Amino acid sequence: MRPYLALARASARSVLTYRLTFVFSMFGLIFQLLALLAIWHAVIGAGQVNGLTWPQMKSYLLVAFSCGALVSLYTDFGMAARIQSGMVAVDLTRPIDYQKARLAETVGGVWIELLVAALGWCGVITLLGTIFWPDPVHLLLFVLSLAAVVPLKFLVVYITGLACFWTQNYLGINWARVAVVNLLSGALIPLSFLPSWFGTVAEYLPFAGITSTPALILAGDLHGLAAVRGLLLQVVWALLLWLLARATWATAVRQLTVHGG
Amino acid sequence: MSSASEPVIRAAGLTKVFRSPDKAPGLSGSLRHLVRPRHTNRAAVNSVDLTIGRGEAVAYVGANGAGKSTTVKLLAGILIPSSGTVRVAGVDPHRDRLVNARQIGVLFGQRSQLWWDLTVRDSLEVLRDLYGVSRTQFTERLDEFDEVLGLGKLLPVVARRLSLGQRMRADLAATFLHGPAIVYLDEPTIGLDIAAKDSVRMFLRQRVAAGTTILMTSHDLRDIEDVCRRLIIIDDGRIIFDGDLGRAKDAYARQRQLSVQVDAPVDLAALRAGLPEAQVEQGASTRELVVVFDRFAHRATEVLDALTRQVDVVDFRLQEPQIEDVVRRVYRGELLVLPPQGVDA
Ligand SMILES: Nc1ncnc2c1ncn2[C@@H]1O[C@H](COP(=O)(O)OP(=O)(O)OP(=O)(O)O)[C@@H](O)[C@H]1O
Ligand SMILES: [Mg+2]
Repeated sequence: MRPYLALARASARSVLTYRLTFVFSMFGLIFQLLALLAIWHAVIGAGQVNGLTWPQMKSYLLVAFSCGALVSLYTDFGMAARIQSGMVAVDLTRPIDYQKARLAETVGGVWIELLVAALGWCGVITLLGTIFWPDPVHLLLFVLSLAAVVPLKFLVVYITGLACFWTQNYLGINWARVAVVNLLSGALIPLSFLPSWFGTVAEYLPFAGITSTPALILAGDLHGLAAVRGLLLQVVWALLLWLLARATWATAVRQLTVHGG
Repeated sequence: MSSASEPVIRAAGLTKVFRSPDKAPGLSGSLRHLVRPRHTNRAAVNSVDLTIGRGEAVAYVGANGAGKSTTVKLLAGILIPSSGTVRVAGVDPHRDRLVNARQIGVLFGQRSQLWWDLTVRDSLEVLRDLYGVSRTQFTERLDEFDEVLGLGKLLPVVARRLSLGQRMRADLAATFLHGPAIVYLDEPTIGLDIAAKDSVRMFLRQRVAAGTTILMTSHDLRDIEDVCRRLIIIDDGRIIFDGDLGRAKDAYARQRQLSVQVDAPVDLAALRAGLPEAQVEQGASTRELVVVFDRFAHRATEVLDALTRQVDVVDFRLQEPQIEDVVRRVYRGELLVLPPQGVDA
């Protein structure tokens, strides 16, 4: 455990260096949040759409914003760059598990992402009035579900990052991933607004756990047993993706040629 | 010195083939490649056999692209061999990467292992945790390294702000921090000035004296003479020379050169007659002579005596054979391969 804690601490300190890059990437997310708030405010008005009232929608969008901020900093910039620059060679000389090490680094960067998310919450609540808060039990479920976003999103980014072992064109893969995750996680529109069969399928995919599950739990739309099931699905997917990532790594590392030197 | 010790690194038939796309230039070439990809296979390391004993200091030398870095990556467990076997202290470095990583240290001169955004001290602290080095050992080692590497001033500096020479010193400390038994150094003096090179060499000599097994690549042959006892030359992926450094010199670098200043122009023909085994040439001016002789055929004093019998010598300078000359001649293919000298030779 000690090596991984050390890595998490190191990355927790390093993220401050990237604060400018981070702030810029946050601009995109904040703009998206404002646009979505405006649109849904116009759509919902004083009534409700698909069972969601305006305060509930505000909760949903704030969670979506937070999930967008989580695991966006370290992994996105770090993973692919280390493989492409050949720094992966140095990583491989360390007596630690590669995947756990990268997870530890990601977790280390979470604090600044949560900080930005919290600022977003304060801003929205101050400007647009109170949001929907569920009862304490569901609040706890929400916190757990939000925590599960970190490993889940990390694994999706990690597995796509491993594509760098096969292709030089990480940028294209990254865009494709962002598009798929945005649509299937419910980051842009809640899954219930997708065509019904499509929405149902999406609910069972791992991407739903990256936004939709925690967002719907906080918005009170996913409650009781359904909320618990959503959380369990997140955990199961995280475990499955962990194994998938391991298998991908085992193949990828055979492809490794290490550039430069 | 250590040639009788048990081997710690054993490679047999070690081969690494890289597959690179065969693309014609331009867009049409790229398109054709897309339709029908062609690849060339190239063996960067080709049936390399290596046996290195505990505590040996080995120089791994070769021209650019000869396969040095690739060998280091194979030995470190970073790359998987295409064929052949490697054992490092009884461990397959790739299959048991984590076990192997504990016993080795690796320095790639061209890339730093420090955390770019942390101070040197913080980076070393992270490494302390990664390798589970105790606090007392950590302080002891840093104190020990500090004498030669002058770490004190570097510790509070963020790695990104270090100069190349400072960075290399910090990287050396990072490489040896966990007290690895075996260390691979890939061009540890690249881009350094003379003073920095000297401190790197002194540091490495100390580590060798302390019993660390070292395999080092370098294009600066002074590094090699200063630190290593054994020389391995790789060319186009194959080992073409493996032997004791002194032995290589005795075998191939026998030519000493005596440069002499005289007070009056001399009769070269007469001199040549007096020194039939040596080459006597005019130097840059008529008052300078250069005598090249085999150090096993003549002693320097013999040559000097022969000269003073004919001319008045004002000044002279004796140049010892350089390992550069040996390596240059090996690169040029002028020298035959010496029979490999195993660890038990
Ligand atoms: N990732 C790779 N893909 C394809 N070919 C590679 C790769 N890495 C190295 N090579 C080729 O393998 C050969 C050996 O490379 P290597 O880096 O081991 O040389 P080197 O001896 O370290 O050279 P230098 O002194 O320039 O550092 C070179 O011809 C190089 O082009
Ligand atoms: Mg090299």
